[in-house]
Amino acid sequence: MPDAATTALIGPSGCGKSTLLKLATGLVWPSSGSVSVDGQRLTAENIRSIRHRIGYVIQSGGLFPHLTVKDNVTLAARHLRRDRAWIESRIGELLELVQLPEELLDRYPSELSGGQRQRVSLMRALMLDPEVLLLDEPLAALDPMVRFGLQDDLKNLFARLRKSVLLVTHDLAEAAFFSDRIVLMHEGRIAQQGSYRDLIERPANEFVRAFLRAQRVTPDA
Amino acid sequence: MRSWSCILLMILASGASAREVIVGSKVFTESVILAELATQLLDAKGIDAVHRRELGGTSVLWSGLLRGDIDCYPEYTGTLRGEVFAGEGVQSDEQLRDTLAQAGVWASGSLGFDNTYVLGMRKDVAKRLSIARTSDLAKHPELRFGFSNEFMRRADGWPGLKRAYGLPQTDVRGMQHDLAYRALASGAIDVTDLYATDAEIVHYDLLALPDDRGFFPNYDSIFICRASVADDVKQTLQVLEDSIDAQTMAALNAQAKLDRLDERYIAQRFAAERFNVVTSAGLDTRMSRIWQRTREHLGMVAVSLMAAILIAVPLGIAAFRNRNVARVAFAIADVLQTVPALALLVFLIPWLGIGYGPAIVALFLYSVLPILRNTHAGLADIGRDLRESAEALGLSAAAQLRHIELPLAARSIIAGIRTAAVINIGTATLGALIGAGGYGQPILAGIRLDDLGLILEGAIPAALLALLTQGLFGALERRVVKAK
Repeated sequence: MPDAATTALIGPSGCGKSTLLKLATGLVWPSSGSVSVDGQRLTAENIRSIRHRIGYVIQSGGLFPHLTVKDNVTLAARHLRRDRAWIESRIGELLELVQLPEELLDRYPSELSGGQRQRVSLMRALMLDPEVLLLDEPLAALDPMVRFGLQDDLKNLFARLRKSVLLVTHDLAEAAFFSDRIVLMHEGRIAQQGSYRDLIERPANEFVRAFLRAQRVTPDA
Repeated sequence: MRSWSCILLMILASGASAREVIVGSKVFTESVILAELATQLLDAKGIDAVHRRELGGTSVLWSGLLRGDIDCYPEYTGTLRGEVFAGEGVQSDEQLRDTLAQAGVWASGSLGFDNTYVLGMRKDVAKRLSIARTSDLAKHPELRFGFSNEFMRRADGWPGLKRAYGLPQTDVRGMQHDLAYRALASGAIDVTDLYATDAEIVHYDLLALPDDRGFFPNYDSIFICRASVADDVKQTLQVLEDSIDAQTMAALNAQAKLDRLDERYIAQRFAAERFNVVTSAGLDTRMSRIWQRTREHLGMVAVSLMAAILIAVPLGIAAFRNRNVARVAFAIADVLQTVPALALLVFLIPWLGIGYGPAIVALFLYSVLPILRNTHAGLADIGRDLRESAEALGLSAAAQLRHIELPLAARSIIAGIRTAAVINIGTATLGALIGAGGYGQPILAGIRLDDLGLILEGAIPAALLALLTQGLFGALERRVVKAK
């Protein structure tokens, strides 16, 4: 993955996009072979420190329903006994970054809208200032209007963060919107990678062509 | 486990001083009256004695005596021969005395009555037909017999009796014991089987026909004690020898069963009339009784439930983490749950004796499964999303458990504890069967005496306690899930 740039991971259901993210965070372990993150091989010993360097957001947000927004966001930092003042100032930065009002901090996830929940989930992922952000279909569960607005905000946010972002989506248009580096996966392997133009104009094989057809995009779109 | 319950037992039994004489009784009126009488007489002699009433059946009392949980209790020679020493060929009273002595048990002489089977009929009918003893029945083949079903079957019941006396009657049927009394009273049958001291003999004004050919085995009433009790205890009990005949005993039983008098009062009155001894019956008010039962009941429930929570919640967590633990734990807990409460109590007696110990262990065992299941289910129900989110945050396993898993499973765990508590409160009423007291005590006594008021004195507080517990845990559940 290139530094400080957004990579979009795309492919049909079951092609291994989410699994790739879970392998990187050690949520699943490979039945054969090994996983390396930043040149470091994942082991049971180093997995927790590596997780602290990765921000991870899933489709449903994964917010803990029994904790307030603030507690959700600061859970890992408190667990690591980070300085209280540092935590407070970090929350302030993140609120501004994801454009949420401060009043929301004391609410519970069930009292938030879908879009707000994903913004909180993003805050939580960014709390420890990770080097890498992994987003597993973060917008898939949102309705089109909210989704449209959040896409814009996210793109601006990625530009400001200048972090390595890996975003999983099944929507080619969304992938193209976020990144000019699109990785199309098929049955656990990379079918083709390149810009949106590359994919449309020079599909590498029959699967890529079929995938593009299913997205209802035409070469001259 | 054993040492653990021993500690509990010690804590709970610490109220009883080592020197007092504990008199036990079985779960039926006659036994309670006799034990009460003995306790009061001992007390009047200045011997510190307590009556632990309605502890159970023969096996409970006998093993309690051998273990030293109780020191004395009223027993019948026939029961010792036929049940306790069954198959050992104990025949005569001397043999029985020797056998008892070998077991470290001292026996008094007969208290004066033989509580065996007898045949009974209405006095007016007997008089009209001039029947005075069992052998007279042979002269009246037209008599209609109605026997309890057990008596019809037993070799030492009707089949043997018929042969021994050459009884010619053909109208003989089995029926329920209580119905037989009513049928006798209404004239639907003429003769039925009775125990020699049944209260009904008094109530229906029946004639108990003497067993003039000695067919029925002897069930002489005696007191047995641990041989180690002090001599003055034995001497006091010997005062009772030959002091109560069958009619007197039947009358005393009737005072309890028909007149609904407190056994303590009956014993006190009898002691005054028969022995000129003024005793203290220690009668107490209904409120103080209920309070006492409440303390006993709450004690059983609280200790067993707390122990179950301490064991079952960690076990549920372990079962959630490890499938093998889950398999073994659930298999054991499931089996335990299927053991009937009474059977479980009886199994525990050889190890733990009678009283609080086995009751608490049994209640503990019954409380484990609901808490274990709900802890496991509560954890297993946490969405994969949430578990993975917690893991991806880089929390340690302990932090995940504390901050995420246990709070999310709390509702289910509390529901499990609530179920266990309510089951526990209900089951604890059985504790009275083995002398642990509680609300079961008045219920048992009420059933025995057919006294609805007494039954309700136990049943209503038990129901209220169950409702209160439901309410408290319900409120706790709502507080825990306020945010969901």
